[in-house]
Amino acid sequence: MANKGWDEFEIGAMLRSFDGVVPNISTIHQEDRAYSLSNSFTASVADWRIEKPVFNKDYCIDCQFCWIFCPDISIISRDKKMIGVDMDHCKGCGICVEVCPTNPKSLLMFSEQTDEEEALGAWPAKDTSKPETKGDE
Amino acid sequence: MAFDKLELRDIEVWDGNFAAAQALRQCQIDVVAAYPITPSTPIVEGYAKFLADGYVEGEFVMVESEHAAMSGCIGASAAGGRVATATSSQGFALMVETLYQASGMRLPIILNVVNRALAAPLNVNGDHSDMYLGRDSGWIQFDAYSPQEAYDLNFIAFRVAEDHDVRLPAMVHQDGFMTSHTAQGVKTLDDDTAYGFVGDFKPMNDMLDLDHPVSHGVQTEEDWHFEHKARQHRDLMLNVAPKIQAAFDAFEKLSGRKYNMVEQYSMEDADVAVVCLGTSVETAREVALEMRKEGIKAGVVGIRVLRPFPFMKIAEVLKDVKAIAALDRSSPNGAPGMLFNEIAGALFNTDTKALLSGYVYGLGGRDLTKAHLRDLYKELQANVDAGKVTTQLQQFIGVRGPKLAFL
Amino acid sequence: MSEMKKIKNLKEFSTSADRFEGANLLCPGCAHSIIVREVLNATNDDLILSASTGCLEVCTAVYPYTSWDASWIHIGFENGSTAVAGAESMYKALKTKGRLKQPDRKPKFVSFAGDGASYDIGFQWISGCMERGHTMMHVVLDNEVYANTGGQRSSSTPIGSSATTSPAGRKSYGEKKNKKDMVSIMASHGIPYAAQVSPNKWKDMVKKIQHGLSVEGPSFINAISACTTEWKFDPKDTMAITDLATDSLVFPLYEIIDGHELNITYRPKNVVPVEEYLAAQGRFKHLFKDQYKYLIKEWQERVDAQWAYLQRREEARV
Repeated sequence: MANKGWDEFEIGAMLRSFDGVVPNISTIHQEDRAYSLSNSFTASVADWRIEKPVFNKDYCIDCQFCWIFCPDISIISRDKKMIGVDMDHCKGCGICVEVCPTNPKSLLMFSEQTDEEEALGAWPAKDTSKPETKGDE
Repeated sequence: MAFDKLELRDIEVWDGNFAAAQALRQCQIDVVAAYPITPSTPIVEGYAKFLADGYVEGEFVMVESEHAAMSGCIGASAAGGRVATATSSQGFALMVETLYQASGMRLPIILNVVNRALAAPLNVNGDHSDMYLGRDSGWIQFDAYSPQEAYDLNFIAFRVAEDHDVRLPAMVHQDGFMTSHTAQGVKTLDDDTAYGFVGDFKPMNDMLDLDHPVSHGVQTEEDWHFEHKARQHRDLMLNVAPKIQAAFDAFEKLSGRKYNMVEQYSMEDADVAVVCLGTSVETAREVALEMRKEGIKAGVVGIRVLRPFPFMKIAEVLKDVKAIAALDRSSPNGAPGMLFNEIAGALFNTDTKALLSGYVYGLGGRDLTKAHLRDLYKELQANVDAGKVTTQLQQFIGVRGPKLAFL
Repeated sequence: MSEMKKIKNLKEFSTSADRFEGANLLCPGCAHSIIVREVLNATNDDLILSASTGCLEVCTAVYPYTSWDASWIHIGFENGSTAVAGAESMYKALKTKGRLKQPDRKPKFVSFAGDGASYDIGFQWISGCMERGHTMMHVVLDNEVYANTGGQRSSSTPIGSSATTSPAGRKSYGEKKNKKDMVSIMASHGIPYAAQVSPNKWKDMVKKIQHGLSVEGPSFINAISACTTEWKFDPKDTMAITDLATDSLVFPLYEIIDGHELNITYRPKNVVPVEEYLAAQGRFKHLFKDQYKYLIKEWQERVDAQWAYLQRREEARV
């Protein structure tokens, strides 16, 4: 967003979250929202990453630990199913990998440059030294 | 409407505090967040009693400090409604941080400041040190010299501040004790007329408009801050004065009482003039008339609107006066007084030949007497006669001990 | 008490539409964000929010971006709570006067502030809000330092922690004073609800947030926010550290009803030694030197005593 002159913005450094009228936003998911350009959703922090999470849905049990513990709202979950990672907003912190309870994990960190398909192809096998755990609260 | 109207007499005998409280009642504030401090306390006490008796509706939040008072006012104003409070001196100083925040956030809050000295030493009486502390805070500032003006200027303040082309907070100053606790006849407006002059509050960027979420008070760093502050200054410099003038004109039509950004008394052919604020203006007016009887063409200039400073008007009014005295009721602590500096700045690039000297007076409630002003006008005349300032540029008047003069 | 969104399990919870956005400037792994998400997702009601100056505010509202999808205000460091109280007052005034734009919708009022803003500089302001009985919730994002300015000590900083203004060194083990008990202090105002929460125990936290949001009057929530930058651990371990905090009972989870009824709400199946919690964080690593090792024992004793105290209060129903 280009830096505007003093005459090109609303007073008081006030920012609007959306364009136009919003009914109760808590019932509308991100893809259906009319975000204003002032909403940070429209920006990206992809360049923060040096590592990225790769999601392997073959092992995922949709426990939603990654969804709740992702600080950056970058785990996209719809209808109780983990769909993928929002790579515009993921900062590569690695929490999702740590909290993933499956064996092997359904999310693993790879270097930012790694090709996704290659990563999925190189997925580790089940770690038999770990005890069985269930992914529940 | 679940509140009662009050029938007022055409002229009521009110002190400045109660006059302000009545004005706030008539404006029907939505949220008053306040903290008591002498000598402004009776304003909020008066308002609380109106609420308890059902003459106003809305919320009255007695917070735990003046900083919290202005903070609560800011939250309420950003939420979207008519907001006001009152304070003085130490309370004003405590809330200074929030004054800058309120104006930066462009919120139309009205603050009645009952001017009182700043400690140390501690003092409850009237001077302008608190007023001067808030000079750069970005607020529109009016000065009332009497209870009548404390009443009238509140209506002007709401109407101007809440205008969507302005959206800046405004202060109405009045002298502590000298105006706030001195009862005089106040010509009133009836409730409907008063409210009608101010009008309904029209929200803008209100947080409580749940269909349009907004973020207020964000951070701006080196890439944005200057533009935002410049915009704020620009709006104060360009948008406000015409709105004030329009409000003054409308108020004159309504009430017959005429206000000006710069009040002039006996200035048409004045050789010597005193420029001051607050109750000193009335004292000076009387003395000026007396001096005229003695052959000194004396006049008085009262600043009505301190911010935006009426730079051009001051230059116009003063540049052909021969000797001017700027009277500052606050210790400048190491520099010439505020009025001296601002007048000097206004006159500097003109072709004026006026002589300018400064006087510091009346600190902590010390009286400015007619005798002081008589001597002062005589000094100004002596300056005129000599063609130069015959005294030092800054003198303290009315203080016991050896004479204090500087510069 | 108003109707709260029903959340049976995490899968149900995951259908929430977040009202907090990414691409903000918070550190990777920041727990503030996890806490804010859990709070905001706990309800579908409209929200009026504030943040005091601090990491959250500074990272989520830098012109020209805002990460907030509900109305939000920042004024300054001390007064986020009072900002929300002012907004709540305006809501009440407009309701009385019939000027609400959406009169059928009753927003919840929530202020967020760090421990520095809440325990120290904003203490009086929060106390005022609690005392005056505004229907609002104050949430402390407790990372036990002034994180935003580089990690200076606050009155929430625990003993032995190395903060930049109470650094560990050859002659000092860091912070000398123990953490102020804000939950008790705020509960002593007689507010309907005060509680300590932790984002790892999301069900406990969401239940408490929902309770706080449904009472008439003020609620006070202290949330542990493990800070990767200032506590000095790897960003990926935020939840692991938080688990250690709750499972070692360093950060016990409890609630206080009406100022005088305490309920412990989490009893770990296996209590972890405090030493494990301390060992996982760089801010405590100097405690493992011979000259300061005795402090680890004192830490365990203090945590044990605190736990015993909480249990006695729970039994005595005070």
